Amino acid sequence: MGVSTGPQWRITKLHVQLSACQRLDAKGTLRPTLISLFTSSQPPIKTAHQSPPPCSVRATHLLPSSCRQATKSRMSAKRKRPGPASDSVVTEHEKTVHEVIRSKKDMGASQWEMKREINVADNIITKCIKSLLSKNLIKEVKSIQSRGRKHYMSAEFEPSSEITGGAWYVEGSLDTEYINVLKEQCWRKIYGMKVATLEGIADALKRSNVSQIELSKQQVEEIVKALVLDNQVMEVKSTGTGEFASIPVGKVCYKCIGKRGYGGEPKLGALASIPCGACPQISRCTPDGIISPNTCVYYQKWLEF
Amino acid sequence: MVPLYGIKCAVNLITTHFGDLVAKVCECLLRKGPLTLQATVRFTELTSSQVKNCLLVLIQHNCVQAFVLEQSVEHGDAAKANTQYIALFDNIIHRWRFNKFLTIVSQNLDKQCVDLLEALLQHGRLTLKQMSDRAKSVQNEGDDVILDAVQEAVIKLLNAHFIERCPASEPVITNPTKQEVSARKRAAKSAKIFEEQETLEQRVVEAAAPSEALRFLLVAQTEPAADGGKDETNSSIVTPGEKRKRDALESETEYGAADEQVVLWRVNFEEFIRRLRHKACVENVKTRLDDGAVTVLKAMLEATRSTEKKVKTDNSVPLSLNSIYEEVIKSEEGRNITFDRVRAALIQLSCPPFVIAANESYSIDFKKIIELAQNEEVESIVLKRYGRDAYRMFRLLSNSGHLLETDKIADATFVEKKETPKILYKLWKDDYLQMEKLQVTGAKRLSQFLLWKVNKNILREHVLNEMFHAALNLVQRVAFELEPEKEMLNIPRDKLLNRQRKVRLLLESSHMKLDDAIMLFHDF
Repeated sequence: MGVSTGPQWRITKLHVQLSACQRLDAKGTLRPTLISLFTSSQPPIKTAHQSPPPCSVRATHLLPSSCRQATKSRMSAKRKRPGPASDSVVTEHEKTVHEVIRSKKDMGASQWEMKREINVADNIITKCIKSLLSKNLIKEVKSIQSRGRKHYMSAEFEPSSEITGGAWYVEGSLDTEYINVLKEQCWRKIYGMKVATLEGIADALKRSNVSQIELSKQQVEEIVKALVLDNQVMEVKSTGTGEFASIPVGKVCYKCIGKRGYGGEPKLGALASIPCGACPQISRCTPDGIISPNTCVYYQKWLEF
Repeated sequence: MVPLYGIKCAVNLITTHFGDLVAKVCECLLRKGPLTLQATVRFTELTSSQVKNCLLVLIQHNCVQAFVLEQSVEHGDAAKANTQYIALFDNIIHRWRFNKFLTIVSQNLDKQCVDLLEALLQHGRLTLKQMSDRAKSVQNEGDDVILDAVQEAVIKLLNAHFIERCPASEPVITNPTKQEVSARKRAAKSAKIFEEQETLEQRVVEAAAPSEALRFLLVAQTEPAADGGKDETNSSIVTPGEKRKRDALESETEYGAADEQVVLWRVNFEEFIRRLRHKACVENVKTRLDDGAVTVLKAMLEATRSTEKKVKTDNSVPLSLNSIYEEVIKSEEGRNITFDRVRAALIQLSCPPFVIAANESYSIDFKKIIELAQNEEVESIVLKRYGRDAYRMFRLLSNSGHLLETDKIADATFVEKKETPKILYKLWKDDYLQMEKLQVTGAKRLSQFLLWKVNKNILREHVLNEMFHAALNLVQRVAFELEPEKEMLNIPRDKLLNRQRKVRLLLESSHMKLDDAIMLFHDF
């Protein structure tokens, strides 16, 4: 269950943030292009005098330099590997709690789960967690499965995709802004190429540097398949002739659907174009009932000329 | 199986056209299935003569078919036969579509044919004499002139298969014995063929239908042509002298030349539905491909229409590239299309596979075109009613065709894992999805997973029922808006009339558009 990720994604979020900044320093000239891509479909980027937004991994490079500096120092603080503990004395209870957390490996555990496993009072567990955090023996991680509860993991493990949600999740939430930008760019590449294979789309995205982070073929495929589900793009098999002449016969490829642009709505069906089509109460509607076509408020609104 | 709201629509139609009594009898047959006269009297609590008259009206208008059901003889028992009456749901619903049928005839034939068809739609069944009498009452011409004009129009309508000879009044059908049923099932199983079980209605209609040789044939009481040969343009007409040459006619003693004056003619709904099906295919392809591809498709439809044995044909008869090209250049739009352009259009039509190419022949995949159109219709409802995330989820499940777990759906559709079950639950509650629970015993605990699926057959029936429901709502709202009581409100009369006109136009056009969708799910 969840998105399977390759080894390249089993790195800390911290490491990725650093890499993004470093690459940006080297490729500063690309920044205006990327900003235009983002600002065309994004809300305005906050300026330096405003507090830096909780930035996603990919968007850190878009912050003004003062914010980037603040972010960098925050990241540096986070980057510190757990060194020798300032207070090396670990109590019996702390050891027990730490063992429970460590036994969960990359899944981590919530306080509630710890309470279930060890017969220790709540306040003691809370105290142990606080102490272990300060000694950098454990860390707090965001879990998409239990966003309300705090989740803890032993410092040497990285959270699994079941906890993080996978490559498309940041801070426990889906990075919808980033996904939408990628989807639009993918669509534009396919539109430009008329017919495109997955490799062709991945290459085109890589060359245009839409994303600072290199997307794997699987990730590109996930984006393209999402476009298929949006009915923006269709999946076809090459016939080797006509527009498929340069593509081997039988190879899966993609083309834009119909004559509408990106984001265009599909054709409205017959039932969907009348009030009954959108009505959530249709199963309760009867000719002589309280909900009926004669008393229907949706009809009333529809027939207001 | 007829959807619940389909029955309500049918009853509403019959009530509007023929009144409450006839509607009561019709509803009884629709809900209870085929009944004898006595049973119908019992269930409707009407008198025998009332029920008889109602049945006559319904038969006259092709909404009911009588038949004799002969119970097979087993173990030396005497055969039992009784006359029963079965409601023809499809023919009742076709009454909504009379204007569409008239439009088709007006686009293909002259005004005389349109008038004749209108008469048949109005009266259900007419003899040639009745048609002539009707024309005489309207026109101020001599009898012979009118008769010739009517006959000519009838022949044109027959040639186009827009009208047909009425079916037998009481065909006999036999219930197969238990042994025959078992033998049939064994044979199908061993051949690994899935045989769609023919409904009783289909068997009755088939048994009642005249043979193909007679169905569109007008036997005229005229002398043979001076040139001694048959006029090839009038394939629907044969003189008595030629009858002997046709073996099929010799056995049709029921339809001898002497009975020709009392032969009843009626509208052939099947042909109109076929034409509307073709029209729907063209409309669907038009939204995806260019004019060239559409012109080629139209030409293929034109060339293969007469070879279709039934309306719900999966594929058209294969055509060669040359035949297609010859048909394309016959039409006005296709006059300037080159041979290469036709070839290119056929390649376009293969993706998605609207046209299948095999052994240098091309045939239209009707099933695929209709299926895509049905999917679009359902997806449109999901998008409108439940939103874009639900739309993606529905399409994922519909395309995959098997069960998928909640998290997998969330990942594929880029929806938050916490939100996904809520959306899926809404779709499931409204019968758009099926759900199964899977419990897995892990190392220490029991995990429960929810799996989701689209069952297209069940969903199709559900959506069709909703469509009939919506159609009935539209009809009801029209009646409500045109109620005379509205005139008593303090609204200036001209404003009221103007509003009523606009409302009626909107509701009725929406109804006709919805009817196209109903045909997509029920008739095509």
